[in-house]
Amino acid sequence: MANASGFFTPSVPRLRSKIQPSIGVSRSGFCFSAGISRRVVCSSAIEGAEKHVSPSESRMPKLVSKGCKLVGCGSAVPSLSVSNDDLSKIVDTSDEWISVRTGIRNRRVMSGKESLKKLAVEAARKALEMADFDPNDLDLILMCTSTPEDIFGSAPQIQRELGCRNSPLAYDITAACSGFVLGLISAASHIRGGGFRNVLVIGADGLSRFVDWTDRGTCILFGDAAGAVLVQACDAEEDGLLSFDLHSDGEGGRHLGAPINDNETDELLGSNGSALDFPPKKSSYSCIQMNGKEVFRFAVRCVPQSIESALEKAGLVSGNVDWLLLHQANQRIIDAVATRLDFPQEKVISNLANYGNTSAASIPLALDEAVRSGKVKPGHTIAAAGFGAGLTWGSAIIRWG
Amino acid sequence: MAKASGFFTPSLRTKIQPSIGVSRSGFCLSEGIFKRVVCSSSIESAGTHVSSSQSRIPKLVNKGCKLVGCGSEVPSLSVSNDDLAKIVDTSDEWISVRTGIRNRRVISGKENLRNLAVEAAKKALKMANVEPDDLDLILLCTSTPEDIFGDAPKVQRELGCTKSQLAHDITAACSGFVLGLFSASCYIKGGGFRNVLVIGADVMSRFVDWTNRGTCILFGDAAGAVACDAEEDGLLSFDLHSDGEGARHLGAPINDNENGSVLEFPPNRSSYACVQMNGKEVFRFAVRCVPQSIESALEKAGLTASNIDWLLLHQANQRIIDAVATRLEFPPEKVISNLANYGNTSAASIPLALDEAVRSGKVKPGHTIVAAGFGAGLTWGSAVIRWG
Repeated sequence: MANASGFFTPSVPRLRSKIQPSIGVSRSGFCFSAGISRRVVCSSAIEGAEKHVSPSESRMPKLVSKGCKLVGCGSAVPSLSVSNDDLSKIVDTSDEWISVRTGIRNRRVMSGKESLKKLAVEAARKALEMADFDPNDLDLILMCTSTPEDIFGSAPQIQRELGCRNSPLAYDITAACSGFVLGLISAASHIRGGGFRNVLVIGADGLSRFVDWTDRGTCILFGDAAGAVLVQACDAEEDGLLSFDLHSDGEGGRHLGAPINDNETDELLGSNGSALDFPPKKSSYSCIQMNGKEVFRFAVRCVPQSIESALEKAGLVSGNVDWLLLHQANQRIIDAVATRLDFPQEKVISNLANYGNTSAASIPLALDEAVRSGKVKPGHTIAAAGFGAGLTWGSAIIRWG
Repeated sequence: MAKASGFFTPSLRTKIQPSIGVSRSGFCLSEGIFKRVVCSSSIESAGTHVSSSQSRIPKLVNKGCKLVGCGSEVPSLSVSNDDLAKIVDTSDEWISVRTGIRNRRVISGKENLRNLAVEAAKKALKMANVEPDDLDLILLCTSTPEDIFGDAPKVQRELGCTKSQLAHDITAACSGFVLGLFSASCYIKGGGFRNVLVIGADVMSRFVDWTNRGTCILFGDAAGAVACDAEEDGLLSFDLHSDGEGARHLGAPINDNENGSVLEFPPNRSSYACVQMNGKEVFRFAVRCVPQSIESALEKAGLTASNIDWLLLHQANQRIIDAVATRLEFPPEKVISNLANYGNTSAASIPLALDEAVRSGKVKPGHTIVAAGFGAGLTWGSAVIRWG
């Protein structure tokens, strides 16, 4: 890739350098007329007061591809912890059965005034705090979730709760347990290809709301949580996303999902006496349904393949990688993948014993705990992989900090 | 942007063949060199497909996002204002004067979001002369999927893709399609993808309260799709925003189901409420923010309204469309509008209107279009695009 004069002042290679938006920085992108990039800020608020319009910018130097680096992380879990023994009081199961087959001992479940939005905001705040970063400098928020608190998505409300005043774009990515890895690649693509500079990626899910708590096959598996990572544009030499490998296969969709209910419609009679399907009854989503065996088989086959591919693209082998960080679905999946890839146990990050499968939150939640406990240090390389409903799966080789 | 040696033969609708070893999943950027490796896998062991890995190849720069095909699909059942007047207290005159809507399509029988999306996608691929397996990414922009985990992978499969191409949903209400186009552009320019299908599809009829005349008159079901490739840059500029402060004016929130037990465990299963809207506030938001966003996008592109061939807004309400067009000085003959027939189809509205305008011969290759979405979030945004 040609090295053109950079758009950004080459940042000091500190983990927590704050990238200040320069005057006239666009929060919304570039134009690419005739290869020249121009940036203009325009933002607006709903209320008439507090309108913020920055001066438009004259022609800028050419922008070339950037790198992106992960500079802060955070997580949040509900306060209510539900143990396997608690579950054995409401369904026919036991602590031994659950922990042997899944590795899960406890999970957190939202209660009272808790909400997914609050968890996401708390995780985000912690990530921004770690990076010493002002939310007003964010230019994009990606909320990776399948269980938003509004059918139209939750990201804009989180943006507002965070206190962002410059109306940065915020939207949801709906991709189940692969959501966070997709969110990271999406963030990197927005930075490298769309001119964004400070992207918050949140993985959050409240699956407890869509679980059948009378079904012992599924209710033992899931928990609620949120995790967040701040991704910043940087020079190519500091790039923290070394490679990725992402796939979907809808053929396996029947093995895992929470499909919409085909509600029977009221039988209105049309003028010729035939039944009409109008108006439709309101739809709702059923509880999570899963063929555990097929999903297990899928994971242990596709995830190692994907990681191997990502490693190869990065010119690395598992021996170069410091940590293996898989979506926290089942300890047996984690163990099988680690074994297949020759990752020793001490390099494998796992916290699902305490939280269960938190879907899109699981990777950033585990990452955050590993960073804050001092395990994962700046400069460490991590092979992260998500896999789940879709079916969708993917891996990324990332460098922390 | 540095002009690297072109990877693709330059022509309007050249089919971009994946070259040997082309990755469907991205690059690595070690030391600025791109390496591409194909890896794909399928669930059934019988169909496992692994392509040969690739040695280092010359540097590749994807030029941009070119729109090369479009398609759309609507349900067969058409519901007129008079039909609605039989179930709620309204009239054809009231609805058409205040909204411009006369009819809308509603799914029935075996119809669903996925089959609408697949049909729209097939038509787009056909126009673009692209095979499903030439795609490397499918973005499904919807707020009303058939599965809470998203529908893009199933659409991928039903389209006939066999190479496990990445497919994911974007949930961004009526701004979804513009965001999807923008996202496609970022994935192409910054992620190494080359053939991206962007689908906007919604079945709002499932989340509308059909006894509420304030909302049920507005919405319809549809799907639209656009095929993009990396050959040239057809996305000249963007301007995108969100403001969650306005969320209270428009949404379909999750029900806070009362649990009843002191422990609040286990939680009751949640469901989403019907679409709720403060029409007046949403109208005010749209007529203020959309022109501003379009002006910004035009400025970034170095253009003015008179350089633009078509104004293509999210089809929510004819009065919004008229107000925005007037404010930006777009003459009516340059304004694309089909909501009289389809109502507000959320993320589908822009690609549906685009498709009709292309197939009717109005929008021709080389025409410049300003497209703007706006809606729940609140989120809004505009893009200056070139068709073909």
